Amino acid sequence: MASLRELQASFAAALRDESATCAVLPRENLSIYRNNAAINFRSALASSFPVLRRRVGDDYFRQLAMRYRQRHPSRSGDLHWVGTGFAAFLAEELQGTEYAWLADLARLEWSREEAAVTMTHAAISVDALARFAPEQLEHLVFSLQPSLRLHASDFPIFSIWTANQVDNAPPVDQSMAGECGMVLIRIDGVEVRRLEARVFSYLSALAAGAPLGEAVSIAGLDQPALVHALAFVFQEALVCAVTLKVGQSAH
Amino acid sequence: MRALERARADYPLSLHGVGLGLGSADGVDRGHLARVKQAIARFEPALVSEHACWGHSGGEFFNDLLPLPYTDEAVELLARQVGEAQDALGRRLLIENVSAYVAFEHSRLHEWEFLAAVAQESGCGLLLDVNNVYVSSKNLGLDALAFIEGLPVGTVAEIHVAGHARNGAVLVDDHGSHVCEEVWQLYCHATGRFGALPTLIEWDTNIPALSTLVAESQRADRMLGKLRGLAA
Repeated sequence: MASLRELQASFAAALRDESATCAVLPRENLSIYRNNAAINFRSALASSFPVLRRRVGDDYFRQLAMRYRQRHPSRSGDLHWVGTGFAAFLAEELQGTEYAWLADLARLEWSREEAAVTMTHAAISVDALARFAPEQLEHLVFSLQPSLRLHASDFPIFSIWTANQVDNAPPVDQSMAGECGMVLIRIDGVEVRRLEARVFSYLSALAAGAPLGEAVSIAGLDQPALVHALAFVFQEALVCAVTLKVGQSAH
Repeated sequence: MRALERARADYPLSLHGVGLGLGSADGVDRGHLARVKQAIARFEPALVSEHACWGHSGGEFFNDLLPLPYTDEAVELLARQVGEAQDALGRRLLIENVSAYVAFEHSRLHEWEFLAAVAQESGCGLLLDVNNVYVSSKNLGLDALAFIEGLPVGTVAEIHVAGHARNGAVLVDDHGSHVCEEVWQLYCHATGRFGALPTLIEWDTNIPALSTLVAESQRADRMLGKLRGLAA
């Protein structure tokens, strides 16, 4: 008699391929499981990428979901994660086409999904800097909120995302300038926010672990811009911890 | 999450899982098990339940409640993996019967015998989904009353009822409509046998107005109230 593992493997094969044999009755009812698997996958994907679905329409979204599932089947019992590789799949699939911007929109939407299941850490205030000597400030490294995701795109994805928070949104002109911004979890939900290029550049450097001085150079901030950027990261509760870069002596 | 925490402050929760694949011969999804453990630590539910099913094979997850063959081998595997999950979670689990659209030709046990054996070997409790009993009985030509009579009193600790859809000759468990009269009758029979147990109306597709849901819940309450009156 076939083992349980063999029976499940044959059932799984019959879900992938209608012509595969499987010792169940009535055989035609396997189509219910086949449909359930496809619908559950597509519904989970649609709930993770609502703006993308709205922009491409149900029919094209269904085609994309089917092709994506064939190449990237679910790898977890938790449907939340089926969208993990969707943006990369779209980037490959739509490369060189007029729809290439959809991959960047998918990255933004997926980062919302990641942020939504990431815990918020307590933020520290700017007063934390007072325990360091002035000459140490440039060597400080910030730990930012773990849910913070930063995005830069050649397309106006933040404008597109924002415009599509209502039904029947008019299309945004994709030829507009590229945009950058951030995504993070707040107490009342996930925030999606476009950022000014230099603040974005500064935040990106900090997120990559650059000390304050180096982040200022990378972002090309003058004194007023630095004051503005520093005020921004503390006012927005983005900093969870501050440490002196290894190799710099503590005060 | 915060809404759930607020609800938790006033009501006991029943945490109901669908993703562990406890009957999968390839093993339990350990990543998912770890997340369920975190959810239990955060929300401290009164009851934690999963299904007598499998969900993945060869690395692919179908994210559905797939039926098991009712064999001694499957009893042994499901009981062992339920035991492992209970050890990992530090909790007793309730295991629910699923709706089935096909049956394995290899099955040698009745479903209720299978569930009773798993409960006995693993120490888990059972969650009786009366709609699933009804749906499977209609789809596979089984006796729904014999199912309920076959489960041992004392192992069932929670009951689910729900609506289902009809797809041609097949009933599909879709949680998208009123509980039908036949299922209410089976529910009455089940509570008569197992007692006034915590009951969930599962209605998570085509979600109706709250008043409709509350009316459905009140119907279950009235039936449980009569039962308690009889016991008093």
